[in-house]
Amino acid sequence: MDVVLLFGMVIGLLMIGVPIAVALGMSSVLFLLWFSDSSMASVAQTLFSAFEGHFTLLAIPFFILASSFMTTGGVARRIIRFSIACVGHFPGGLAIAGVFACMLFAALSGSSPATVVAIGSIVIAGMRQVGYTKEFAAGVICNAGTLGILIPPSIVMVVYAAAVEVSVGRMFLAGVIPGLLAGFMLMVAIYVMAKVKNLPKGEWQGWREVFVSGKEAGWGLFLIVIILGGIYGGIFTPTEAAAVAAVYSFFIATFVYRDMGPLAHAEARSLSAAAVDTTVDGPRSTLLQKPWAIVTAFFHPDTKATLFDAGKLTITLLFVIANALILKHVLTDEQVPQKIATAMLDAGFGPVVFLIVVNVILLIGGQFMEPSGLLVIVAPLVFPIAIELGIDPIHLGIIMVVNMEIGMITPPVGLNLFVTSGVAGMPMMSVVRAALPFLAVLFVFLIMVTYIPWISTFLPTYFMGPELITN
Amino acid sequence: MRRSWTDQIEETLIAVLLGLMTIITFANVVTRYVFNSNILWALELTVFLFAWLVLLGASYGVKMNAHLGVDLVVDMVSPPVRRLLGLISVSVCIAFSFMMLKGAWDYWANFANLPATEGRWFPLGFEENYRPKGWYETFDIPLPEVLRWMEDVFNEGEEYEKIPRLLPYAVLPLSMALLLYRFLQAAWMIWTGKADRIVASHEVEAELDEIRKEEKA
Repeated sequence: MDVVLLFGMVIGLLMIGVPIAVALGMSSVLFLLWFSDSSMASVAQTLFSAFEGHFTLLAIPFFILASSFMTTGGVARRIIRFSIACVGHFPGGLAIAGVFACMLFAALSGSSPATVVAIGSIVIAGMRQVGYTKEFAAGVICNAGTLGILIPPSIVMVVYAAAVEVSVGRMFLAGVIPGLLAGFMLMVAIYVMAKVKNLPKGEWQGWREVFVSGKEAGWGLFLIVIILGGIYGGIFTPTEAAAVAAVYSFFIATFVYRDMGPLAHAEARSLSAAAVDTTVDGPRSTLLQKPWAIVTAFFHPDTKATLFDAGKLTITLLFVIANALILKHVLTDEQVPQKIATAMLDAGFGPVVFLIVVNVILLIGGQFMEPSGLLVIVAPLVFPIAIELGIDPIHLGIIMVVNMEIGMITPPVGLNLFVTSGVAGMPMMSVVRAALPFLAVLFVFLIMVTYIPWISTFLPTYFMGPELITN
Repeated sequence: MRRSWTDQIEETLIAVLLGLMTIITFANVVTRYVFNSNILWALELTVFLFAWLVLLGASYGVKMNAHLGVDLVVDMVSPPVRRLLGLISVSVCIAFSFMMLKGAWDYWANFANLPATEGRWFPLGFEENYRPKGWYETFDIPLPEVLRWMEDVFNEGEEYEKIPRLLPYAVLPLSMALLLYRFLQAAWMIWTGKADRIVASHEVEAELDEIRKEEKA
């Protein structure tokens, strides 16, 4: 009963507009003060050990930083150009290219709303210009943007791995097939709709354009090779891979793409110490022209601004996660997961019913809460039951991530719906209506992922051997 | 919006902490493959920087209204009710950061040879008997020479090999005090009607505002 009170308090506080982090922290603190004899000092210790005791979480700021450098470095534009070159000539080409671009961008970024903003702000306008309706464009991007948390690297997966102590590498690998499958299903849906509705298609621009744009985008896309290759090749830990990725994106953005930092267009750089020379011909300078840039780049205002942006996002996410870890601590102290597990098993729930329950909880919760915070709380609750029922922990993780994706685009309050309505400049309800047909596609996908474990477990088992369940 | 000098300090601090974390972790990979040895203290120091970044940043988040929350109900109600809800939620935040400040002090104090406070959630004076833990060191981070004075102050002149725990843990009371201060400020803002909420509904709110501005321009 006291647990119901605890969750009731969390939800109540959330609804009146208390920040998620404080709602989680405050409920845990009050619960501890009422029902146990632990001290405030131990709560403070738990807060600090959210960082001290979870090395896995350390990957998150680095992934965020890598994707910040990539977005400010204009990689989104290059990815879109490459996508259009590849698939733009199909019926509904630009829409399919939009999905493809979201998939590629998802491989650089670990967040869904960020994907919508980066790709959507360019593609939606482009689609309208060639004659798609605004609704169709918004619906496509809104759904495809959710792939951000499914295609590795994914912040939500890192959080799941930290919460239930499975390997981040395995989670990333497990996300590959589902991510490709979801993207493919969306593309097929668009293709069929395009055939029926006779939507515009673009020109095939030839292999040369594919090659040229591919080479441009390739610098950015190589990031995924570093991350996945580094982890599976045993070269880096996931955290190190993320840090290397961040440094790599910094170099690409500053020295290769030159969209930011001392080598970028001089006009926009009046603040820069390195850009005193305003007579530079052409929009960008080369490293040979400004060899000192290799040093100044580290202290450039653009670099600082990007670090700050990534730091700010890290803070808001991790403050939620740290407080969710306090709540998790309370739950495990009170042995809530075990109690729920016994109750569910005594009621005779099989795997099928259990997974439906998980689906429903996450679909509802995913609308209100930041996905990573929700995961920290729900994962430890359902994990012991899943293990009892013989569900693979990695499979469970992917199910949870896909649920979270769908929660983001389910009315009334899906996060991606908000963001898309902002990006496309249209009211929330029209985005909801526009997203519905594709939402149906993702729903079919959710059922497939939930009941066909092979989709998630094949790659990790193939590359890393079967999962060992130790407890 | 003009940024004050405190904004500048906080923003620079956030950028520097994250930059340091990245460089240290990257350097560790490089030394492992190039010089065949790990930087022993790299991981522990990175973790402490991480904690400093998030905990100190939390108060900046309050100032910038960047903390994530649900504004569904807040958007639906009338302005007077919204103000009331805002005042209630900011009171909850103040109570939370006050209690956390007490907890943070209690946890840190003994590491710095200071007394913790009495009382369950409200400080009722300082404890009289406690075991000072100023000697307690971190695992791997060596003490830099500039901090040698800490040996006399906190360790009765005995030598520290590694930095004492009181140093990384100091962020707890510091950050919670800042958090309390910022929530009090936010309460004032809501009371005077300059703000109506303390949450952002999603992480890209600032970016969206920019896009909207560009469209209008």
